[in-house]
Amino acid sequence: MIESVQFRNFRVLRDTTLPLSRFTLLLGPNGSGKSTALQALEAVQRRLSESGGWVRFEQVITTGLAVSEATEVEVLLCWSAPCAGMTTQVIWSQSFPKSTVKHVNSEGEGPSPQDGGPLSAMLAGIRVYSLDATQIAAGVRLVPSMELGRGGAHLAGVLDRLRDDAPERFKALNEEWGRWLPEFDQILFDTVGEGVRAFRLRTRQGHYAMPASDLSQGTLLALAILTLAYLPNPPAMVCFEEPDRGIHPRLLRDVQDALYRLSYPESFGETRPPVQVLATTHSPYFLDLHRDHPEEVVIASRIGQEARFERLSDRRDLEEILGDAPLSEVWYSGILGGVPVER
Amino acid sequence: MRVAILSESEYDEGAVRILIDGILGSSTEPVPVPVARNGWASVRIILPVAIKHLHYGTGAEALVVGVDSDDSPVHQPIHNPLSGAYQECRVCQLHAVVANTEGQLRRISGRPRMKIGIGMAVPAIEAWYRCGIDPHATEAAWIQALQSKIYPYTRVSLKEAVYGVSRPSRVLKTGRGTEEARRLVQDLLFLEQWFPSGFGLLAEGVRNWEA
Repeated sequence: MIESVQFRNFRVLRDTTLPLSRFTLLLGPNGSGKSTALQALEAVQRRLSESGGWVRFEQVITTGLAVSEATEVEVLLCWSAPCAGMTTQVIWSQSFPKSTVKHVNSEGEGPSPQDGGPLSAMLAGIRVYSLDATQIAAGVRLVPSMELGRGGAHLAGVLDRLRDDAPERFKALNEEWGRWLPEFDQILFDTVGEGVRAFRLRTRQGHYAMPASDLSQGTLLALAILTLAYLPNPPAMVCFEEPDRGIHPRLLRDVQDALYRLSYPESFGETRPPVQVLATTHSPYFLDLHRDHPEEVVIASRIGQEARFERLSDRRDLEEILGDAPLSEVWYSGILGGVPVER
Repeated sequence: MRVAILSESEYDEGAVRILIDGILGSSTEPVPVPVARNGWASVRIILPVAIKHLHYGTGAEALVVGVDSDDSPVHQPIHNPLSGAYQECRVCQLHAVVANTEGQLRRISGRPRMKIGIGMAVPAIEAWYRCGIDPHATEAAWIQALQSKIYPYTRVSLKEAVYGVSRPSRVLKTGRGTEEARRLVQDLLFLEQWFPSGFGLLAEGVRNWEA
């Protein structure tokens, strides 16, 4: 697991550290670096995977910073057990515009990125999702290995594979989906072109098979999140841009369950390794669900041209401030930070 | 009897209903309370709305409200909810909300006043679920812990003890709660004995409904 990520000169993240848990909820005003943190992780992933699309120095350097030969952009990932003491250093500079990567221990030694073993594998397994209903609903040409795209593309193919490769999981997913949205009772499939798969949802009443394109945005986004949670081999780390977006607040407890299924698999009877989850939000309702676990909440704030992160449980006065009040109300008040600056 | 239940989490309400049925000695008919709740603060805020909805929009004969004490003072029989002397006591606060809301209600002819019972799990409903299993899961132990600031357990550790995991799912919470309530209902006096204020007073009040 990644214990923390230190940023230096990475766009608005001039000099700050993002503490991470198995599950981390990151909230703050627009422009406070939430999405930038996810983009940084995605840039590291690209650097360590064979997918290409490497991010360059001029794309990540802080805007307005006086640049010289010595100027560096750094993302430093600190690892917890079983790789405690190890760090992964990713540096962009004018000399190395596509970045250099080093895994090192406290004595400065470590495997090369190519032989990085679990560290490189974990980093290459980072996935960032910014789900988009149109992409989720689109049909997909089937290939042997289907993976959910950044915007949720290929969902029909991922579900199709799940049904054939892990039928028990597909059945469990159907049952859980029926609890989330009781108006539906089955995920069905349709061949909408040569080799092109699409999915439908069957209504409990009347058994009408509704094409994905007719489903609401929130329904599609929720199904994509739930599907990820039921995969037998999900990515090593998943980062969500606002997984609550478009979803009714009363369904958010279920969304939280799905994310916890990823990050605390043992709590759900799963035997696979935990997935590290990082999710951004603006939802006070979603925040309230984490009242008992302030260590999971990180508040992003914008101070001038810089963004800062602070873990909620690191505030010594937290319990005194919260008292009996809902966490959401206290956050919204601005006392905890992470709200837009007053004009 | 048509009974509505309002607690901090809808996942606890199946268990609470089993206990209420046990007190009454017969199965109650559920009346849904279609309001979202999440924690003590939300129950306090939505209680007036829930009472008005049940009064005007349903044929509910009774409402049971259940909250956790968390770190707040444990309700005691000597508290006078309407005097304002125990403002930090959640049961007293809820009694005051009930009295205030009932004062605003328009009587409906032919309908008796809805009976309302208030219970408080000390410090959380998981302590009730541990009653008879963990000798420290009692009101007295928690009151002593509040005074000494030495806690035999936390709300999080209680959850872990009951559910076996730190982040129980909806299904697990509902299932385990129901399981434990079925165990507890076999001997309600035991639960009343170890949770005399939070559960005992509720049970006493509910038994009086029949009178």
